[in-house]
Amino acid sequence: MTASESMAAIAASPAAAAAAAAGAVAAGAEGAARARVFAVDDWSDVAITRHQARRLAREHGVAPRRAGEVAIVVSELASNIVKYGVRGEIALHVAAAAGDGFTLTVVARDVGPPIHDLAIAMLDGHDDRGPIDPATMAQRGGLGSGLGAVARLADSLEVRQETGGKGKQIVATFALGPARGA
Amino acid sequence: MATDGEGAITIQETRLMRVIEALSYASIEDYDSCLSLLRNLGTADEFAELETAFTIFIEELAEAKRQLRDALAETEVANRELAAKLATIEMQQAAIRDLSTPIIEVWAGVLCLPVVGIVDSQRSAEMTETLLETIIAKQARTAIVDITGIDVMDTKTADHFIKMAKAVRLLGADCFISGINPGIAQTLTHIGVDLTGIRTLRSLRDALQVHLRETEQLHPGRGGEAES
Repeated sequence: MTASESMAAIAASPAAAAAAAAGAVAAGAEGAARARVFAVDDWSDVAITRHQARRLAREHGVAPRRAGEVAIVVSELASNIVKYGVRGEIALHVAAAAGDGFTLTVVARDVGPPIHDLAIAMLDGHDDRGPIDPATMAQRGGLGSGLGAVARLADSLEVRQETGGKGKQIVATFALGPARGA
Repeated sequence: MATDGEGAITIQETRLMRVIEALSYASIEDYDSCLSLLRNLGTADEFAELETAFTIFIEELAEAKRQLRDALAETEVANRELAAKLATIEMQQAAIRDLSTPIIEVWAGVLCLPVVGIVDSQRSAEMTETLLETIIAKQARTAIVDITGIDVMDTKTADHFIKMAKAVRLLGADCFISGINPGIAQTLTHIGVDLTGIRTLRSLRDALQVHLRETEQLHPGRGGEAES
């Protein structure tokens, strides 16, 4: 992380990344009113937020399985806020995309320390510095595979954080809609 | 106004018309217009007494109507608040259901862990921990993990579920996984987990039946309930 505005993007496909960019623009332009924001302070917030995410996806006609994947991503990101982020929030944006599709963007913000090494943090069983030993894993709970799950289930994932600063923003995007069989 | 010899009274038509007009305003619940016609009439005679009585009646009616409207508005606000509270309770119930890992001893030595809601890495780790602890605490010999209520899992979480089943076997208990849906079956085969020694059954009912049949074979003439 050298740039002042460090950025790391991991996209499943170029098309998905383009859809994510389009979604972000659309969300900024007209999706603001439709953004739903959930404060995340403790584990009950994690459970409430994932249920609301699932409900939101289902309300937009997303198939149960895909809506479940959205909920898992929200749950993993919210869990990370509780475990590492001190406090934060999850915002859900829905924006129209090309054709009759739409994007659902999950934005997780927190005020905790930055991710030390994103590439390592993405690995299952790892935190941002390396493998998590079984004792620490048991103490923290979870499997150390949260970010990995987000990368697998979302269409694109982007981590934004200021170098040396506090706080970060993780953006996971889903391309949804009838054209995608959702 | 004049009074003739037989007690009949005569009044100016404008006064009568004014009262009739006021009455028509009252009938459409426009009490302000009604009362503005009736106030400061200035004449003191017998008809004025009727006008005054009518005015008081209208004032009281207007006040009663206003109170009723206020009460209805308050009820509406209370109803909205109640609906909001119910929605909150509903969300909290879902959260509690999700946060807790209910392990039920359905039979002596038989534990059932029904998994519902959304399973992420955190929950799956919690479930494993709770299930293994409960197996020891209850000296259980069979654990049935029913995932009928789960639509989808991340591959790592699915892999962890299989590891949980293997850990149960290490503790000397049998582990059945029931209710695997096609999506999760594909996830499991896709990641290529080793399913050796993992017993999967269509439903919780099937798992219980298999358990009972095997118990019967081990102890002929005794049901699962008798063993402990």
